[in-house]
Amino acid sequence: MGRVNRDVYIALILFVIWGIFFWQTLLVKDMGYATIGSGVWPQVILVALFLLTGGYLFQSLRGGPDEAVDNGGFRGWLGRYRNALWCYVLFFLFLFTLDYLGMLIGGILFVFLALTVLGGWNPRRLGINAAVAVVSISVMWGIFTFGLRVMLPAGEILNVY
Amino acid sequence: MIIENLIAAFQAVFELKTLAFMIVGVTAGLIAGAIPGFTIAMAVVLTLPFTFGMPTEQGLATMLAVFVGGLSGGLMSAMLTGIPGTPSSVATTFDGFPMARKGRPGLALGVGVWSSFWGGIISAVLLVALAPQLARLGLEFGPWDYFALVAFALTITASLAGENMLKGLIAGAFGLLVATIGEDDINGIARLNFGTEALRQGFAFLPVLIGLFAFSQLLSDVQDREKALKPLMEKGAKAVRVEHLHAITEVFKRARILVQSALIGLFTGILPGAGSSISNILAYDQAKKTSKTPERFGTGISDGVVASEAANNATAGGALIMMMALGIPGDIVTAIMLGALLIHDVVPSPTFIGDQPVLAYSIFVAFFLAHFMMIGMQAFCLRLFVLVTRVPMFMLASVILAYCAIGVFALNNVVFDIWTLFWFGVLGYVMRVLGFPLAPMILGVVLGDIAEVNLSRAWTISNDLTIFLTRPWSLFFIVVAAFSAVFPWYQKWQGRRKWTLVFAPLLSMAVSVPLFMMPGLFRPALGAVLLVLGAYLLWRRWRGGWELPPPPEHRLME
Repeated sequence: MGRVNRDVYIALILFVIWGIFFWQTLLVKDMGYATIGSGVWPQVILVALFLLTGGYLFQSLRGGPDEAVDNGGFRGWLGRYRNALWCYVLFFLFLFTLDYLGMLIGGILFVFLALTVLGGWNPRRLGINAAVAVVSISVMWGIFTFGLRVMLPAGEILNVY
Repeated sequence: MIIENLIAAFQAVFELKTLAFMIVGVTAGLIAGAIPGFTIAMAVVLTLPFTFGMPTEQGLATMLAVFVGGLSGGLMSAMLTGIPGTPSSVATTFDGFPMARKGRPGLALGVGVWSSFWGGIISAVLLVALAPQLARLGLEFGPWDYFALVAFALTITASLAGENMLKGLIAGAFGLLVATIGEDDINGIARLNFGTEALRQGFAFLPVLIGLFAFSQLLSDVQDREKALKPLMEKGAKAVRVEHLHAITEVFKRARILVQSALIGLFTGILPGAGSSISNILAYDQAKKTSKTPERFGTGISDGVVASEAANNATAGGALIMMMALGIPGDIVTAIMLGALLIHDVVPSPTFIGDQPVLAYSIFVAFFLAHFMMIGMQAFCLRLFVLVTRVPMFMLASVILAYCAIGVFALNNVVFDIWTLFWFGVLGYVMRVLGFPLAPMILGVVLGDIAEVNLSRAWTISNDLTIFLTRPWSLFFIVVAAFSAVFPWYQKWQGRRKWTLVFAPLLSMAVSVPLFMMPGLFRPALGAVLLVLGAYLLWRRWRGGWELPPPPEHRLME
């Protein structure tokens, strides 16, 4: 079997995802009093998605295989999406530690680390990153806390309320 | 009654606080619009959290100010550096940049600014005139018509959003599916929550929007490691003095282009999913085609700048007409404003202008006023823009990502919303990388509830599906949706396949059918005109031996 293009794999993965959602719609309770059951509309959408994805799969198969390009394998992939991946990892850590560090400290650390990872870490750069992180997050935190009266997560370390 | 509502609206908008917020909003919009990669929609989305605690009129006025500022901000970057600040200023670079390079940057900026102003004012006048009329039409809509309208909005957005129509439709349908997660609005039953309590409430609209759109956009901007480290402008922009008087004369000498482009922008804005990114190019193209000297376009003439900038600002008025009259967003920004209205417990519908006249008139007044503020702030923002161009993208992205988290939390004070932002940020980025357009998905999320509620109502009244074809408005939207689904292939094969010769005549004749079914005299007469036009076009093609015209010189694709 010849190589298939990326869109074929995407179409197949989408079929699996729609299948999982469709299975979920079968678990929706039918209370018996509704004119149109709660699971019906999602099922209508999913039928449409199955048909559209079928068309997409057909179009992808007709499109033929992707051109063979040396992308550097997994390492090349990591290199291409390095910045995005780092941002996601740091944001995930920021969220994970939010209850402990709070929005102010967690936010400053997130911005500082993001700037450092994306921008580099020579000593001068670290100083600028720290200043930008502290000033920007403190200003935002201040506007939301005192200006807009939003109770941002304080965390365990710093409890300002 | 109108006078009383207008006075109340003026009082709401001309409050000191509101004016101050609007000035800040216009400034922020101008700067955001000027930064390539930082779209107007993102600027409006980031303004949303600030508006939660404001009265509705104030919040909307602020968002409108950002919107108007953003539409005009793109021209600064387009003219001074040759890079459009937003997609709505792409055509501005064609003549604006050459004009600036010829040593007339002040005139170029002036023509751009004043064209934006007048384009917006024309659109504001028509907004006030047309929105109530369209709302009256909307009162004729039943649930079948609304459902068909949503289907039309998603189809046309998908057809305009990207190169692959199927990907656009999949994205739109997925948006509809995401909107179903959580408790069903009609029966209160939990669905698609995978048994988890957290998903029982579903996803709040704002974190989904910011995650899909802003979060993923920022990550796309920093994806290229080298570009992320560089300042926004390599050579840096220089502040120039805007030649206002000369520019005003230039714009008025081109009144025909101004009005023509404003109308193109307005009607593009009315089409769901078609925004200023399309209207500026359409208007430029038309201005060139109708010019006596088309060969001069692209060399740095005022005509090109007037066309592009008048159209992009006028698009906002058209999009607002749809949102206010029918509750259907005309573009991404009005989708965000619709979300803002829903957060403030205001549901736009055909009765919106009648039920909430002060709010409706406040929107009109704020839209007018924002254009005057834009003129006033342009010079100041030019200096700010020069400073901002020295900031590397990675710095902006990091700070704004943190701001997204804080802003999203401010909505419901719930950490789950920030997790929603994160996961939809991942999804949005993956969609961008795989070539799935985001606009249809966002529209699907916004319109999902409207579609379901109307389908449920339609089914409750009657389970006869043929009503979708026998009601004139429903049939109208279905016909236009069907043709818009074929439109990408028509564009691709125009001039190369014989079937494209019958597309326009068939559309004209097909649309005439629901028009004949409508009450009154005007619409059936319009239907008759369209039927005759379609027949005439077919006859012309037949007389020409079905000969294909040469393919168009360029494609008007986003």
